[in-house]
Amino acid sequence: MVTPIFIIATGLGLAFALGFIPKKHINLTGILSFLGLAFMTFISGQWLFSYLGNNELSQFIFTAGARPPFAIALKMGQAEAMITLLINVVGLLSAVFLYDKLKQIGRNAFIIYLVLIMALNVIVMTRDLFNLFVFLEITSIATAGLMLLDSNLKTLSAGFKYLLATSLIAGVFLIGTIFIYSFGGSLFIDDLTAIGMAPLKAVSVAVFLLMISIILELKPFPANGWGLDVYQTANPGISSVISGGTATAMLFALYKIMPLSTMQSYDILIWVGLITFLGSNLMGLKQSDARRLLGYSSIGQIGLMISIIGMKPYIQFDIQIILLAILITHLMAKAGFFWLTGIVGNTDISKWGMIRKHPEMLFLMGTFVFALIGFPPFPSFFGKWQLIMELSSSGHFLWIGLILLGSLIEAVYLFRWLGYAIKKETATQSSIDIRPHKTLPTIIFAVFLYGVGYLASFWFPMGGSINWLPLAFIAILFALDFLPAWIKNIISIAGLSYYAYQIIPEQEGLYLIFAFIFLIGGILTLIPGFTNKGKRIGFYPVAMMMFVGMGMLIEAQSMLEFFFGWELMTAGSYFLIIRGHRSMPHALSYMLFSLGGAYLIFAAFGIAFAGSGNFLMSGLSTMGGLGGIAYTLLAIGFMTKTASLGLHIWLPGAHAEAESDVSPMVSAILLKAGVLGLIITFMAMGGPNNEYTTLPYVLGWLGAITALVGNLAAAFQEDAKRLLAYSSIGQLGYILFALAMMTHLGWLTGIGYSLSHFAYKAILFMGIGAVVLRLKTHNMFEMGGMIKKMPFTFIAVLMGIITLAGIPPLIGFAGKWLFYNAIIEKGWYFQGTIIFFAGIIAFLYCFRILYAVFLGQLKDEHRNVKEAPIWYLIPQYLLLLSIMIFSAKPEWIFQPLGSMLAPIFPQGQLVWNEGGTAFSDIGYWNGSWVMYIIGIMFVMIFAWLFIQNRKPKKVKQFNIVYAGEKPERPETTHMAYNMYSGYNKALGFITANGITTFWNWISEHVTAMGDSLRKIYSGNGQTYVFHIILFVIIVYLFSNGGF
Amino acid sequence: MEIFQLEYITLITGGLLVLTGLWGIISQKNLIRMVIGFSLFDTGLHVIMISIGYIRNGTAPILDKAVDKVNAAGQIVDPLPQALVLTAIVIGLGVTALMLAYVVRLHKEKGSLNITNFKDLKW
Repeated sequence: MVTPIFIIATGLGLAFALGFIPKKHINLTGILSFLGLAFMTFISGQWLFSYLGNNELSQFIFTAGARPPFAIALKMGQAEAMITLLINVVGLLSAVFLYDKLKQIGRNAFIIYLVLIMALNVIVMTRDLFNLFVFLEITSIATAGLMLLDSNLKTLSAGFKYLLATSLIAGVFLIGTIFIYSFGGSLFIDDLTAIGMAPLKAVSVAVFLLMISIILELKPFPANGWGLDVYQTANPGISSVISGGTATAMLFALYKIMPLSTMQSYDILIWVGLITFLGSNLMGLKQSDARRLLGYSSIGQIGLMISIIGMKPYIQFDIQIILLAILITHLMAKAGFFWLTGIVGNTDISKWGMIRKHPEMLFLMGTFVFALIGFPPFPSFFGKWQLIMELSSSGHFLWIGLILLGSLIEAVYLFRWLGYAIKKETATQSSIDIRPHKTLPTIIFAVFLYGVGYLASFWFPMGGSINWLPLAFIAILFALDFLPAWIKNIISIAGLSYYAYQIIPEQEGLYLIFAFIFLIGGILTLIPGFTNKGKRIGFYPVAMMMFVGMGMLIEAQSMLEFFFGWELMTAGSYFLIIRGHRSMPHALSYMLFSLGGAYLIFAAFGIAFAGSGNFLMSGLSTMGGLGGIAYTLLAIGFMTKTASLGLHIWLPGAHAEAESDVSPMVSAILLKAGVLGLIITFMAMGGPNNEYTTLPYVLGWLGAITALVGNLAAAFQEDAKRLLAYSSIGQLGYILFALAMMTHLGWLTGIGYSLSHFAYKAILFMGIGAVVLRLKTHNMFEMGGMIKKMPFTFIAVLMGIITLAGIPPLIGFAGKWLFYNAIIEKGWYFQGTIIFFAGIIAFLYCFRILYAVFLGQLKDEHRNVKEAPIWYLIPQYLLLLSIMIFSAKPEWIFQPLGSMLAPIFPQGQLVWNEGGTAFSDIGYWNGSWVMYIIGIMFVMIFAWLFIQNRKPKKVKQFNIVYAGEKPERPETTHMAYNMYSGYNKALGFITANGITTFWNWISEHVTAMGDSLRKIYSGNGQTYVFHIILFVIIVYLFSNGGF
Repeated sequence: MEIFQLEYITLITGGLLVLTGLWGIISQKNLIRMVIGFSLFDTGLHVIMISIGYIRNGTAPILDKAVDKVNAAGQIVDPLPQALVLTAIVIGLGVTALMLAYVVRLHKEKGSLNITNFKDLKW
């Protein structure tokens, strides 16, 4: 094997040798530099390879054959091999990215670059403190030199500040080193650790100086203005080396010297790191410069890793693995992201719409954003998972809260940026720079991220049980995205059918119901996709991502798998939602509410892990003493998906603006994932007679009020799809209320509602979606008379409305009958009244949508409108058929449902007789007979009307009198416009935007806080030096409780 | 008075130099004066390093007649800090040179040496 000293020899020797190559042979210089970097990469790679699978002892290399301090000692162990490999790979790829720039500057640029990468390797390998100082300085000199690749006033002033700051920091390190030598008599880290001299006060000050200077090199908040400037102004190729390479080396140096210090110092790292993570992300909120924003994000993530190093004493799991998972993700995603800013060229994030012309570049950006936030399948997902679980089991909930809060804030600006790139209109015509030497490194790191994510899953407990096959299917769909939409639709339906075939037969009980809604529903809602001409770039992979995520919720045996599926579903649905016409802000708020909810669920899973000691879903019922908190967190988390009142503001926009066939997916199906979550929560709480009585009671009220507000708001909408969206909020309120009753009948109602809401909301959204598709407007007052043009759609929508409104004879009536039985039995009369009232209000919007869209006058411009596409009608009628069957034979669904619930709720079951009559304690009901009687009544009344009104006088469209005046806005004369203005005056205050205002207030204040915080970065280099000095003093005072 | 022993004098002088240098970096608006401040800071560090290795009444670290080879450690000044200082001086020189090069470039770009004029990057 090649000894690691050759890494130094290659870097340094080549740097010297390049000086002898004449300037005109710049290509030769370039090739030699690449070969050198590749050789360095090879050396660390082969060492890593040799350590894989066997616990070979780390190699120490004593240069000049003596121990430090008389000669330098290097160490090459598994960790060193891994870290140097990462650094060298970043170095090599960044050199490829920078090739034309380096060539333009000439051979000196290559020389400095080689020295920088070599220096970073030494920082990792050296075990000698003074040597560490030397290479800290070399790193800072080389970096300052490379800053000049783009030489302008900004880079110059940033470079000067950087040089000043890092030299001072290295000076602090030097003082620490020399005093350590004075007390310990050695500079060899391992010898010093062996002596164990930490208790001495003077020594602890010296070690503190070492530690604080390495921390300062990692740019802690707020002593990091100089670092931000560098990230902003350096060439993106250099920024990626700083963020990926330098920070990695410094983190390792910190990790290396920590054994010298006391336990107390670990707490310093935790707090410095967490404050940096939070503060840096907070200040990023207002930033609009792409590279400075990435700087904030880098500093934040590195802060997180500093704190993880500090958490070592509190974590039983191997901290190196957690760190590695997060480090690799950060390194690759951040380096890739910096390169991407070089490819796009424009540093204003609101101008990033220009990246859309190249979907593959947009794909890379999406990959990096999701990786940085810690979504599956990226390594950081698993790292963060294990970290939170470990912190939870050692009881450090405050740290968990800060980590999750910081991640959420980071998500705000990264997803806002991604939204700009996907959706925001840009005026600039300039194109992006996609020369291969720029795109290749970026693509390689994106691919690595997926690959390492797969590998990383095996580093953690239970990670190996994740089913990667469906993810491979999604990857294939991405690869096949060049095919026409209809082929991909067939592939997707086939894939989903196979997945359903695999999963559904294995399910039983309530999971079976939800597996059916998620997967069969997925297949049905994919069918309308056949109407799409062209390629529909990017649609199918993300739709599959959502459905596969939901499938994983069903499959999940462990909390890890569940959370994996949950996050995958969130990612997929985010992309589906943002595809809509004006969806950019709605997709962002959807994402933030979902992530916020997911983090609450995450924290609750942590509590469950602490309580039960394992990752199984069954652990959710063993919460230790913290059940009340954990179940509340779970309930709130899942309610972000069911859009309960207070957490619902994302839904109307997201569902209404989505594409016609996406709305049913996200409304009829996706919301049920939240319902499943609530059911899991309630079951974990321990069935009907559990100790947690307050939570269901509060949720019951919340459900009732949600139903009222949702239904009322639906009645006041002008936009047909918004009406349906608000109606979903109301309906999910019913479901929440029903489940919260925690009785047999309550759950029968809730789950029955989930099924029927799936069916009728899919029908309604597909029907209205088809109308919107044909008429190209969402406004109901611009519609009318569609009954003649789209009769099949009308019938489907009418049946859907009858089901929704709970009018006999359809299954919705069965739901209502059960509901009132359950309410009376439970004795929740006040809430029940609200629910009852909400049910009446539902008639308002049910009538409005039927009347305004289908009845009334046909508009002149709609004379040539055709019936909905057949691909929309097929799934509607399939669903309608099932509604009809179950309406006639409700025992076919409610009887098995009842027996599924019997083990959980043995009390108060329905009793069914042979003829299909259901008996509750207070009444009975027979679905078939209701059907027959209503059918006969319908026929009779229809016949009577037919005979009576054989010659009705039809009102023509222009048979109207304006009393001599032409209305300024003609739509105001339309009956459907502001239809319920009277009710609005009376009750509108209930639907006032108080909650939206509340969330806006929060976001404004958080942003304003970040904005005022960042004012400390005045731009003055002296201020930054002062920050550094102050930082050292303050941290010292805090850690020692005074001098 | 023990405080007037050579090692303490050098140590205190070094410390004062470090503080003076820091003060210069923070308070002086002229870029060149700031670099001089850094230079003082650096020199202060070197003096401190030398003082650490000093052994009272010790001789130069050369093994000759004057030094008993067996008890050398007690008789000679520790040579290691001196060796380290050489390296540190060289590095300090490099850093100072690069800083000055930056100052020249900054002056060319903006025609000013006042640090408060270079605040284009902030927040």
